[in-house]
Amino acid sequence: MFKLEKKNLIILVVTCLVIVIAASIVTAFRAPFLNTLNPPLSLLTLMKREFSGYVFYRRNMIENERLKKQVDFLRSQVNLSTEIAQENVRLKELLSFKQKTPYRSIAARVIGRSPDSWSSVIIIDKGTHHGIRQGMAAMTYLGIAGRVVEASLFTSKIMLINDPNLGVSAIVQRSRQEGLAAGTLGSNLIMRYLPDGADIKEGDTVVTSGLNEVYPKGILIGTIIDAGKEFSGLSTYALIRPAVNLSNIEEVLVVFP
Amino acid sequence: MKKKWIFLGIIAALGALQLTFLEYFKIFHVKPDLLLIAVVIATLKFDFRDALIFSVFAGFFKDCFVAGTLGLNTLLFPLWCYLIFIITHQFTIEEELFQVALVPIVVILHNTVTGFIIVSQGAAVTFGIFLRITIVEAVVTTLVSPLIFRITKPAFY
Repeated sequence: MFKLEKKNLIILVVTCLVIVIAASIVTAFRAPFLNTLNPPLSLLTLMKREFSGYVFYRRNMIENERLKKQVDFLRSQVNLSTEIAQENVRLKELLSFKQKTPYRSIAARVIGRSPDSWSSVIIIDKGTHHGIRQGMAAMTYLGIAGRVVEASLFTSKIMLINDPNLGVSAIVQRSRQEGLAAGTLGSNLIMRYLPDGADIKEGDTVVTSGLNEVYPKGILIGTIIDAGKEFSGLSTYALIRPAVNLSNIEEVLVVFP
Repeated sequence: MKKKWIFLGIIAALGALQLTFLEYFKIFHVKPDLLLIAVVIATLKFDFRDALIFSVFAGFFKDCFVAGTLGLNTLLFPLWCYLIFIITHQFTIEEELFQVALVPIVVILHNTVTGFIIVSQGAAVTFGIFLRITIVEAVVTTLVSPLIFRITKPAFY
């Protein structure tokens, strides 16, 4: 049998202790040692990188070109996705509105706009073939947009509410004051024929009155932003900010009577 | 004959641009009138009869997409064509700079007449908006016109 002598045992224990102490000392010295080596190592790595940059110049150039193309492609994909996402949101809102609204309607996409500054018109991609007729009301999920003034087989022309030739019979929701909302070619509408001393104030909501057969009752037109007396002094007018942003409509709902 | 068909195509292309892309380049809600520039170019580059036909076509194109029932542009565009024809017969206008200078005059005349007709029909157009459309459109159309003159140049060689 192997017999451990006392002397050998002491040597073994001392050796183990030395190893343990050395190991702990090494651990303690490791971090400062690494810190000391950091600058020369960084310098060497930099040199190596620069060197490989020169050596593999052609490979890097080709890779750079490939990556640039990839970035351009991905950028176009991101743009496309953003556009699709925005369209998706708009169409969802339109669909949700179409489902909620009691009116029978057809959705159409805007394909053109008025070529001059004296009228406010949009061209849509639906016409008589889809059931659209002259005189029908057009709206978005935000409120009234205008009226169909011309309908051909596959396109229709919609006069927007900010066209001065279009008047909408309107009512102030709070005080039930009636008037006629007409376009000014500017960004606001003007509500006319309000009686002198009419109960209107800034922030009042204006909706369609339903007196005109074209527009169903209660569709949002906009909010009053200012009021004043007509030049004649006999009646009052109110300036309305339309609920619909008329300058960037992309889809509309044409309401069937 | 080929030149005439090319120019007819140019008018259609300018009209299509005015209906779509120019919407992004509006200044104070006003965009340049490319079709009116086309009328000026037609009058300067073609003989009177052809220029008149081009003017009627450009006016008709514009009237197809505006709201009014009256073909105002179909009537006015040939009138501006006739006026430019008279001016160019009184003075020789060869320099492009002077040709471009005709554009704001025509735009201001066109918008003044159109504006008065629209207001006389009872439309609620304030004097501020009337001036804004007349002046800003003249400025932006004039700024764009050298580019259109340059683009259409190859069609006449």
